[in-house]
Amino acid sequence: MKIKINDIHKFYGENESRVEVLKGIDCEINDGEICVLLGPSGSGKSTLLNIIGGIESADSGNIEIGDSNTLNMNEKDLTLYRRNHLGFVFQFYNLIPNLTVKENIEVCAYISSNPLDIDELLNVLGLYEHKDKIPSQLSGGQQQRCAIGRALVKNPAILLCDEPTGALDYHTSKEILTLIERINKKYNNTIIIVTHNDAIKNMANRVLKMHDGQITQNYINEAPISATDLDW
Amino acid sequence: MRNPLNKRLPRELRANAGKYIGLLLIFVVTIMVGSAFMVALDCSNNALKENEKECLVEDGQFELLEKLDKEVLEELSKHGITLCSNFYSSTNGYNKNAKIITFNERNEMNLPSIFEGKLPSTDNEVAIDRLFAYNNNLSVGDEIELLGNKFIISATISLPDYTSLFKNNQDLMMNAYDFGVSIVTEEGFEKFDENQITYRYSYRFNDTSLTYDEKNEIVTDIQTTLVQNGANIQSYLTAKENQSITFLKLDMGKDGPVMQVFIHILILVIAFVFTILANNTIESEAAIIGTLRASGYHKYEIVLHYLWPTIIIALIGSIIGNILGYSIMLEPFKNLYYSTYCLPPMELSFNTNAFITTTILPILIMILTNVIILYKKLSLSPLKFLRKDLKKKKQKKAIHLPMFSFINRFRIRIILQNKVNYLILFFGIFISSFLLMFGIGLKPLMEHYCEEIDDTLPYEYQYILKTPEEIDDVTAEKMQLYNLVTYYKLGDLDINVSFMGITDDTKYFKNIKLPDKEGCITVTKPLAQKLNLKIGDKITFEDEYTNKEYSLEVTEICTYTSSMGVFMKIQQLNNMLNLDTASYNSYISNEKLPINESNIIKYITRDDLIGTTLQMLDSFNGIFEIVNVFSILIYIVIMYILTKTVIEKNSLYISFMKVFGYKTKEINKLYLNATTFTVIVSLFICIPIEIICFKYALVYISSLIEGYLPFYLPTSVYITILLTGIIAYLLINSLLILKVRKIPMNEALKNRE
Repeated sequence: MKIKINDIHKFYGENESRVEVLKGIDCEINDGEICVLLGPSGSGKSTLLNIIGGIESADSGNIEIGDSNTLNMNEKDLTLYRRNHLGFVFQFYNLIPNLTVKENIEVCAYISSNPLDIDELLNVLGLYEHKDKIPSQLSGGQQQRCAIGRALVKNPAILLCDEPTGALDYHTSKEILTLIERINKKYNNTIIIVTHNDAIKNMANRVLKMHDGQITQNYINEAPISATDLDW
Repeated sequence: MRNPLNKRLPRELRANAGKYIGLLLIFVVTIMVGSAFMVALDCSNNALKENEKECLVEDGQFELLEKLDKEVLEELSKHGITLCSNFYSSTNGYNKNAKIITFNERNEMNLPSIFEGKLPSTDNEVAIDRLFAYNNNLSVGDEIELLGNKFIISATISLPDYTSLFKNNQDLMMNAYDFGVSIVTEEGFEKFDENQITYRYSYRFNDTSLTYDEKNEIVTDIQTTLVQNGANIQSYLTAKENQSITFLKLDMGKDGPVMQVFIHILILVIAFVFTILANNTIESEAAIIGTLRASGYHKYEIVLHYLWPTIIIALIGSIIGNILGYSIMLEPFKNLYYSTYCLPPMELSFNTNAFITTTILPILIMILTNVIILYKKLSLSPLKFLRKDLKKKKQKKAIHLPMFSFINRFRIRIILQNKVNYLILFFGIFISSFLLMFGIGLKPLMEHYCEEIDDTLPYEYQYILKTPEEIDDVTAEKMQLYNLVTYYKLGDLDINVSFMGITDDTKYFKNIKLPDKEGCITVTKPLAQKLNLKIGDKITFEDEYTNKEYSLEVTEICTYTSSMGVFMKIQQLNNMLNLDTASYNSYISNEKLPINESNIIKYITRDDLIGTTLQMLDSFNGIFEIVNVFSILIYIVIMYILTKTVIEKNSLYISFMKVFGYKTKEINKLYLNATTFTVIVSLFICIPIEIICFKYALVYISSLIEGYLPFYLPTSVYITILLTGIIAYLLINSLLILKVRKIPMNEALKNRE
């Protein structure tokens, strides 16, 4: 699903402490692309991701996703938009502690009209043998894989990953990125990865660099490398 | 696919078993006590009403020296009544002091209801009142001697014209130990000598729709006919005047309101506890809720998910509570009435009103409270949930604290951090100790009330007369007593006010200043307190019989506490009521007076007045104990849930403290002592607030009944409340210490947000 971002502005705070965190963002992300949103802390990348995900609203501008435009959406439309088109992956997984791995994935399968086969997905994620464990029995990487599975089970057109490797070590991070790459190939979803890890840009089709609320670089990576070859 | 979130339910219930068991316990006990009481009250009430209908209770009775002729009976029947003989013989001195009256077989009116056994069928069998039999250790099969004749008890019964065992209608107190009623067969009754028989006739109006005036007219006609036919009337009583019939009905009406106040307080407690839990759930599951919302879950789907534990607890609680209420708990509440009154056997039936008040209402409140809170909180954006940023107002700066020691500053920070929880804990302590104040405070309050009556009652005896009777006794003082009603706005009811007309040269009411001016009155303190009267206020009274209204001005308020009354000069009262200026209808005295007994409507002694209140107190004892146990239970459950919440909220930080190298003892000092301090301070602060609420509750209870309960609580009540609170907390504290010990260090490592 193609995403077109038109002149997005976002402010936080009021009066003297009012800060413009997004200063007119314009860009396009094509269907099936892996887009890496790079930038230092406070550059506005997570805010932009949240606006794309419909969990935060822009003060001006709009986002066109497929045939829809977030500008015209009310709260209920936004819920349906998230339900039908989006998958979220968070830095700290946000798994439900008293549900098993499989059940955590079922949480999103349940609200999907056309969910993926969970067992197959568990195999893809390498979690099949852990499917009956609860999150506290898993390593950080396994928990993040579970969170990816939960986002993916709806077979969303867009997968939004907010610092998906932020809480993981080098090897586990690469494992997760490889998984994301495989998923992109297998399911052809548009994936946006927010990160401050500069190395990750090398696996992306498109790189958006942000600084101080603005996109400073927007380019197509002509020769993306495999996630397994990433190094930092 | 079934909603996978539902799989969390059993796990959630298991993981927080202590919390949910506590809540279930409160819920079960509330429903159990509430339904048992209301069912017992309603079933007893119904039993009484049904019994009056089915057993054809009389509308009136008269006693004569001799039997009536057939002609007179026929003449009396023409007045629109059904008349039947209700002859009896009295056995005095049974078991030394007791009196048993034995009626001839009853077939037309005042029919007996059987508790055990069968009605007498031979001349040596007797059926005896159940309560009297119980109080005198008599049972079916025992032998009893009545006027020299031996009878075998064939049944224990109740009679609709003796639901309260008043030996004499003038008595202020009933006495089921020294007075009982019984029935024998016609053959058995023939064993008694004719001179031992009292000729009582009972009647019922043929037309049940008669007005008060029409009934009065018939009564006058009956009396005229009797007099015209030379009958010697020993006594004449309408059912309304007959305490043995009316007393129970009046008494039953007073218990319901007290219990309803109690139930409403409990419902408030439950709603309030569930509010806290709903809030805590949302806070602790903020990230999950945010994720679900971000994933596209609708608000109502999340609300429903978090509502399930509440619904499950409510449903299980209501089922268990109702089962226990209708089975185990019914007996003690039933005994409240059956140990004092001679009610007919009670038929247990489902009570819709009790079910709505004790089950539907609390469940609705619980669910609604949760739905409102969940919806309100879910109005925040999913992002706020993901960021666990659920507070509308953010703390901008750290609160500057004075230079206390680190430990104290830390504790203050804990209290400030958990201020909402502690505030709710304060409210929980308030409600629990308020209930306890009721449980342990009402008894001394009523005892003090008795003492006040004893202290302020200026005479020993009071005689209410049928007609004025001159006597030669220096201690006797004439008085005019008359009852008028006034509308009591707060309770939306008419209350009876005793108008006391006293003589100018009164020996007994010297301290009471009587107004000289017509239309002015001195009101007693209880009446002034109940109606919130001040000097200068005007009140309207109405005569229920004549519908005449009197508007009177309050010019004095006196400290006399024995009655909800009004004092006037006897002449002024007589003038106001259009009576002869010299008219009077009662005597008060410090000595017994030689008054013709047949001329006495009511005879009241100091002991009677106090005894009635003590008797009422006695019948409440069971309830007081239940309230006390219940209050302590609520104390423990609420304190446990709320203090546990504080620990749970801080478990991450406690875990950090452990990582830093703190010992459990030191962590307890930091976290638990902050809670201990809050609990103890709350217990002390709550007392004066509870006193104010208790006073208002008394005004409320007084608004529902005819009397007025003045406030009084001895210091021992406050000490008991404080000690109970502290002991309950110490118990819980030991559980919290265990909980703190169990918090693992890896909690800090897992939660990196």
